[in-house]
Amino acid sequence: MNRTCDERLRDVRRLVDAAREVSLDAAVVEALVATTGLTRPGVTLALEEHLETRPSEDELRRLVERAGTAERVHVVLSSNVFVGALRALAVARAASERVTAAPSRRASVFARALVERTADPGLSIDGALDIRKFGGGEIHVYGRDSTIAHFRASAPKGVRVRGHGSGLGIALVTSWADPTVAARALARDVAAFDQRGCLSPRVVLFFGGEGVGQEFSSELDRALVSLEDVVPRGNLEPQESMAVARYADAIAFVGRLWRGKAHLVGLAPKGAPLFVPPSGRHIHIALVESLSDARARIATVAQFVTAVGSDDIEIVRGLVDHPARVSRLGEMQRPPLDGPVDMRGQSVVTEATS
Amino acid sequence: MRESDALHARALAFVGAFAKGLRMPESFDTLACDVARFQAKRIDGFARLCLARGVEPSAFRVSRDIPAVPTEAFKAACVRWFPEEEILATFRTSGTSAGIRGTHSLRRPETYDTAALAFGRWALTSDCPERPVVLILGPGPDEAPDSSLTRMAALFAERLGAVDSRPPYFVSRGVLDIAGIDDRIAESTLRGQRVLLLATAFALVHFLDALAGAPFPLPPGSRVMQTGGFKGRSREVDSRALRRELSRVFAVDERAIVGEYGMTELSSQFYEATLCGGDPEIYVEPPWARIEPVHPETLDPVEDGDVGIARIVDLMNVDSAVAVLASDRVRRRGAGVELLGRLPGSPPRGCSLALDELLGEARGVE
Repeated sequence: MNRTCDERLRDVRRLVDAAREVSLDAAVVEALVATTGLTRPGVTLALEEHLETRPSEDELRRLVERAGTAERVHVVLSSNVFVGALRALAVARAASERVTAAPSRRASVFARALVERTADPGLSIDGALDIRKFGGGEIHVYGRDSTIAHFRASAPKGVRVRGHGSGLGIALVTSWADPTVAARALARDVAAFDQRGCLSPRVVLFFGGEGVGQEFSSELDRALVSLEDVVPRGNLEPQESMAVARYADAIAFVGRLWRGKAHLVGLAPKGAPLFVPPSGRHIHIALVESLSDARARIATVAQFVTAVGSDDIEIVRGLVDHPARVSRLGEMQRPPLDGPVDMRGQSVVTEATS
Repeated sequence: MRESDALHARALAFVGAFAKGLRMPESFDTLACDVARFQAKRIDGFARLCLARGVEPSAFRVSRDIPAVPTEAFKAACVRWFPEEEILATFRTSGTSAGIRGTHSLRRPETYDTAALAFGRWALTSDCPERPVVLILGPGPDEAPDSSLTRMAALFAERLGAVDSRPPYFVSRGVLDIAGIDDRIAESTLRGQRVLLLATAFALVHFLDALAGAPFPLPPGSRVMQTGGFKGRSREVDSRALRRELSRVFAVDERAIVGEYGMTELSSQFYEATLCGGDPEIYVEPPWARIEPVHPETLDPVEDGDVGIARIVDLMNVDSAVAVLASDRVRRRGAGVELLGRLPGSPPRGCSLALDELLGEARGVE
């Protein structure tokens, strides 16, 4: 039976309503604090400001229109920020009347609570689904490229695998931006999810020379210090901590380092190759002269860019060649609920051939 | 320049003493700290690193006090004090998918050569009554002019090997010349000459694959120096399995398969001393270089026997970085260190791009 657009909207709204309720559930918050690596204020920030509990009608209609139609959808939530479960399930539920989800073992709390609270007969958890026996429909995989590749290799012939790989946010700050305002807005984008989202900015392209670059770096350092007081960073994984130590020493050698209790700001000199610091509130600032210089500077990572933020959103639309989320600084982690956050598009959709 | 030259002379005195079997001319720590102080004076980046780490070069007392320069810095900055016109040799790391290569420039490559030759001679040929025939399963300097491994291999062929006017290289444009090396080995066997075969691990795997299990015996007393990882250039093979297979195919004792560990960012190398009575899998240092495992997060030395990241102090790196932070995990054992590969990746939280995804896990080994 094919649902009408309104019926699909109804099913998506049901999920959104459930997400709102889950976000107010103290037991869920406790469990998220225990499992996500975020601090309690970090979890609260994510639930209050980054969980899309008030989408507009237009946004939801766009989500439904983009979702397509599938006989059934299995959603694999291998690695994503916890609130990402809502968007992933909404896209799947818009596309199909039969949706199963397999949350990751490390971060299943929110997805399970959401499915349970939605109490939708068309939506269930199935962590043990044998992909090789999955007949028809689609598999939506949110995870690392290697995970997506595994599903593409394992899925039966005819099953469409939609892969949503990990990504990277890039911010571009113009020379005409107010450095204090831009730094404070950017700090909010960095702090959300402790920079572990695929929209999280990790590199700033700064239009200007060394002097103003240092001024902006200091402002960003101050903004991150202030934010740390309100939303302390959670734990880092050992590998993240190791990468932090290396990045700090490398950027201190190459350029200049601002080190906070729970953040780093590194400023590279003009012309230096791009560094991408590890996630966990670490920002690398590269000085650029123009948009074409900015494009050249990020050429080695452009394919991974899922989000671009700037104080001047018109100027950055041409930063990468593929579709990416474009927003003002401070809004990078709040994309409208109108489809997957990763807009790199059809290039990530393949049909299994085996 | 005079100060650098004086430091080179002191560093080379270590090599000279080693070659003659004499005591080292001075304390390792004294020279390491002097080199580090010189670098802090002349290399802005190193001075900034010292400042960022809150250490004052004048207070260096032992080599552990010296902040190590991460290998990443070699990709993004000039790690040298001298101007470009004085560069006499430049080594570059192999590329990664991010496309950035590390660069190590030398003002006095003879220091590199002297140290490499002295320790290579000890680890690879000290038990040979006559010079072996050196054959290289790799490209020549014309094809790989910025490879430190190629330079070292060429040096060994010229200075450790039997005199031969023919080129010792048996890889050209990525293609193995199996017939060519077969001829040279047959000739060496007839003449009763030992062979020293120098190769990367991935080249050896390609070689074994090409042989498809067939034996390829080397003359008695021959040995194989293998270095580096696989970097996606061949199938991955466990190091012990590779050693066993090489021993079988080349008909040499497993102890004659000698591992070498080197990096573009260094001027010194480390070897398994299996031909000198050492244990396999244990890489020993020359008296002018030390590998210290450090905690990956604090970069402080770990307890003896614990696993840490390799922090390498290399007295021959007079003009670049005397202390280098590598990415490999190591553990001190016996007279040397075990190489344990990279820190295993923990599953990432969230969907932000992981650094290993960005770098494709490629590693620049020589």
